[in-house]
Amino acid sequence: MLPLLLGPSVVLIAVFVIAPAIYGVYLSLTNTQLTGFAARDPQFVGLDNYRNLLSSDEFLASLGHTGQFVFFSAIIGQTVLGMAAALLLRRTWLRGKGLFGAAILLPMVVPEVVASLTWASVLSPREDGTFNRLIGLFGGAAAAPLQESPMLSIIIVNIWRGIAFAMIMFQAALEDIPDELIEASRVDGAGAVQVFRYVTLPLIRGPVFLYLLLTTITTVGVFGLVYFLTQGGPGSATQLTSIYIFQHAFQYSQIGLGSAASVILLVILMVFGLTYVRLAKVDV
Amino acid sequence: MQRKRVFLAVTAATLVVGLAACSDSGEQTDAESGPVTITLLEYQQARADVAEQLIPEFEQAMAEQGKDITVELVADILTDEQFRTKITQQFHSGTGPDVVDMGGSHVTGFAGAGYLLQLDEYLEEWSGWDDYYDSVKEQAVQVDGHIYSLPHEAGVQSLFYRKDVLEELGVDTSQPQTWDELIDRLTQVTAETGEPSIVIPAGTAWGGGTWSEGFLPLVAGTGSTFYDQESGGWRLESEGLSATFDLYAELTEAGLLPVQDLLNPNPWEPTKYVQFPEGTLPVAAQGTWGWRYDWGPEGSAPIENVQEKVATWDYPALVPGTDPYSVSGGGFAYGVNADSEHADAAAELAMWLSSGEAMAEQLVAIGSAAPRAGIADVAPYKDEPSLLDAEEKLKTSVAPPTGDGADQVSQAVQSATESILLGNADGAEAAAAFAEDAAELLGDSLVAQ
Amino acid sequence: MTSVRAIQRGMQYVLLIMLALFCLVPFAWVALSAVDAHAGPTVGAPAFTMGNFVDFFTEADTPRLLANSLIISVSATALNLACGILGAYALSRFRFRGRKFFMFSILLIRVIPPPATIVALYLMMVKMQLDNSYLGLILVEAAAALPITLWLLKGTIDAIPFELEEAAWMDGSTRLGAIHKVILPLVGPGLGAAAMLTFMAVWGDFLTPLVLLQDPDLYPLSIGLFRAFTAFNQVDWGVLAASAMVYMVPPAILYGFLRRHLLRSSLGGALKG
Repeated sequence: MLPLLLGPSVVLIAVFVIAPAIYGVYLSLTNTQLTGFAARDPQFVGLDNYRNLLSSDEFLASLGHTGQFVFFSAIIGQTVLGMAAALLLRRTWLRGKGLFGAAILLPMVVPEVVASLTWASVLSPREDGTFNRLIGLFGGAAAAPLQESPMLSIIIVNIWRGIAFAMIMFQAALEDIPDELIEASRVDGAGAVQVFRYVTLPLIRGPVFLYLLLTTITTVGVFGLVYFLTQGGPGSATQLTSIYIFQHAFQYSQIGLGSAASVILLVILMVFGLTYVRLAKVDV
Repeated sequence: MQRKRVFLAVTAATLVVGLAACSDSGEQTDAESGPVTITLLEYQQARADVAEQLIPEFEQAMAEQGKDITVELVADILTDEQFRTKITQQFHSGTGPDVVDMGGSHVTGFAGAGYLLQLDEYLEEWSGWDDYYDSVKEQAVQVDGHIYSLPHEAGVQSLFYRKDVLEELGVDTSQPQTWDELIDRLTQVTAETGEPSIVIPAGTAWGGGTWSEGFLPLVAGTGSTFYDQESGGWRLESEGLSATFDLYAELTEAGLLPVQDLLNPNPWEPTKYVQFPEGTLPVAAQGTWGWRYDWGPEGSAPIENVQEKVATWDYPALVPGTDPYSVSGGGFAYGVNADSEHADAAAELAMWLSSGEAMAEQLVAIGSAAPRAGIADVAPYKDEPSLLDAEEKLKTSVAPPTGDGADQVSQAVQSATESILLGNADGAEAAAAFAEDAAELLGDSLVAQ
Repeated sequence: MTSVRAIQRGMQYVLLIMLALFCLVPFAWVALSAVDAHAGPTVGAPAFTMGNFVDFFTEADTPRLLANSLIISVSATALNLACGILGAYALSRFRFRGRKFFMFSILLIRVIPPPATIVALYLMMVKMQLDNSYLGLILVEAAAALPITLWLLKGTIDAIPFELEEAAWMDGSTRLGAIHKVILPLVGPGLGAAAMLTFMAVWGDFLTPLVLLQDPDLYPLSIGLFRAFTAFNQVDWGVLAASAMVYMVPPAILYGFLRRHLLRSSLGGALKG
């Protein structure tokens, strides 16, 4: 009975999720290519790909870009704005909660490609691009944000996309705090900032930390949003590791090198993932 | 979204023949004449359009020889990079089309991986091959000594300039002998207009074009060996390479290159499709197809009376002791899928498309020179002076170096020129970064010591 | 109410309104251009028309993109749920060695970013001859969303009293019969949530179809929109915007239904990505 019930799931996950991860490790030890004369006869090359990667400025830079991207967009931007949204939407006197909530949710709800498309028009270097019109209102000269400050641009786009996720996670955590507690501290004369700092935050520290781990993990996997907008450029200014992998494996057809980069990324994320599973204390 | 799959049915004539053959079961049908369907991939709209017209003629011609061949045109409109990524995957998974029409620079990588059929035997038997110009034939031979693609057009890379605009600005339009001379003129233009004055593909956004239309033609005329045929490796440091990177740096620093546009995605749009036609960017490094594909009446960005307003210079000498030159290359070629079940029919199609009127039609549609003799008097090609002129130049033009690993070298060139555009490196730094990067990508075996 | 308080509240409103504008303004282009007869790549006052939508549904290639998206997403969701409900039942009702390990392992799978396995996955799919086909993509998408479905449904089934099933057995039902009679009707909300999450994940996926599909006849909307956007010089902005609207409607609607469930934090984590 058990094999019949669980079997299909196990097979699907094993074949299409686990096996590729393992096969990727094997590929990373070969010089597999898709074009060129080396493609005919892939060789086992040991750790060569890893050596090349770890001494390659381009790859190390891509890890740095990913770190920057995660830190500023997910850890700082989404968290701060998501927390602000969650706190504000808890105000009992607030009107139009539904509308505000829906507006903040929309960026997360739409598919990745649509999100990119909208920002491509906002950040268009043309003078009538949305961004340029806005800064035009304040007397600024037209700019080309995706070329002039590409990293900042994609960070802002990713903050935009992720506020809602942070907000939802924090709303759930805040629900567990009894209103009386907040009220009590208010009566004691604490200001809003103090209440947040000394009452609210300590109570939701756990969920916040879990959120940070989770958002780190998912943000490292961001590909389409950035690929669509910049394809990693200009130069390699926005070449995240996910884009590095895609470009090297598929555009330059260096499967072995791309696989090694994938494995490095996986190992880093496993550390975060294991921490998450330990701390989340999920019941099984 | 603008993809068309045009399924072209067998012509009525062949249908009748086919039906007659079927009804007469007693008669043995020739093995070769059994109905065969092959696919032809085109990834540029203009090429797809002309192929669509030619296919029924090909099917008719084959029918007359008693061969029942149906050609299915797969018109999948892609950029060069998208094409390369995608067709690589298709070849790898064995789902590639029978015949692929592609830029010559793609051939080496695919041939190396064994995706393309060796055409040597077909070409030996084909009288048309004897008419091909030697320079074209030589370039078609890959490093293993075999031929994997049939070039059906030839381009000459030169500097296209807006004669009308330069004359109005009072700038000399005679052939510049050296780059210094040309830079003086460009500086004069930029001083007048306040805009950049020359576009040479550079950076990563232009992809393979940075290599084949930008860098390679420059380095080809420097006299330095870039790819060493003898040892089968790339020479990553040379006087010519340094001079080329220095040139990019000089043009960038002087504000002569449209840096911002080159860094954008699809950099050809603002430069070649907007500013050159408008006349605000009067000089462009460009292949012969500029006459048609880019600026012809039905091109991407038509220039009225293009023959009068536009003219070409040879590349000026970059390294002392060399002369101005034009560079061949950039033309498309047909490759036949090594896994094709109907290789004979596929090769037949490639050869037919590379002959007589069929070739003439394509050359005019794209704006390319004939890679072979015997087309110059075929309509509509015979009425195109600028193309015939390019064909003449082809005979004396410099052949750009190519070899295994060209894709990797191209990649390193894209990054190095990008760093110049971004102001992160001067010429010498870019040359050093290029040498290091390319060596890393190529691996020891492909670097000449 | 004191004036200080009024000012504080006013500022909080201002803050929220700015946040909402930041979230909404980027959509201006899609919304306006979709109904603009002369749409360009940037915002402008539209010359109102529904023509772009008409074009979307009548042009040769665009309806096909929508159909492909539907085929892939619906099939993958169905397969995912079918496997998920059986598997979740087993995980909830059976005690066997390795159960905990299995649950934790599939939780860890969420850690694997798609770009990190896509290269090997692609080569494997080629070897299995499952690349460039609906079937291959559907299997991959169903598998990718399975860990979340299993976790979600296991939680739901845990909440259904075992006694109900036992009662059904007493009445002569087989084990599978009992699942059908007792579990299925009660698992509804969890199943709905899992279905929506899976559907939205597959519907919005860009990387997997980008790598696995080469035949434009198979492209879903995500790839179609990307290709249309990068096709130089011949982008029909109006139709592109209309396509984007059509593309974003299903997940937006599903999300409306799903919102109630999202406050459960266990589900929240399933949502992103």
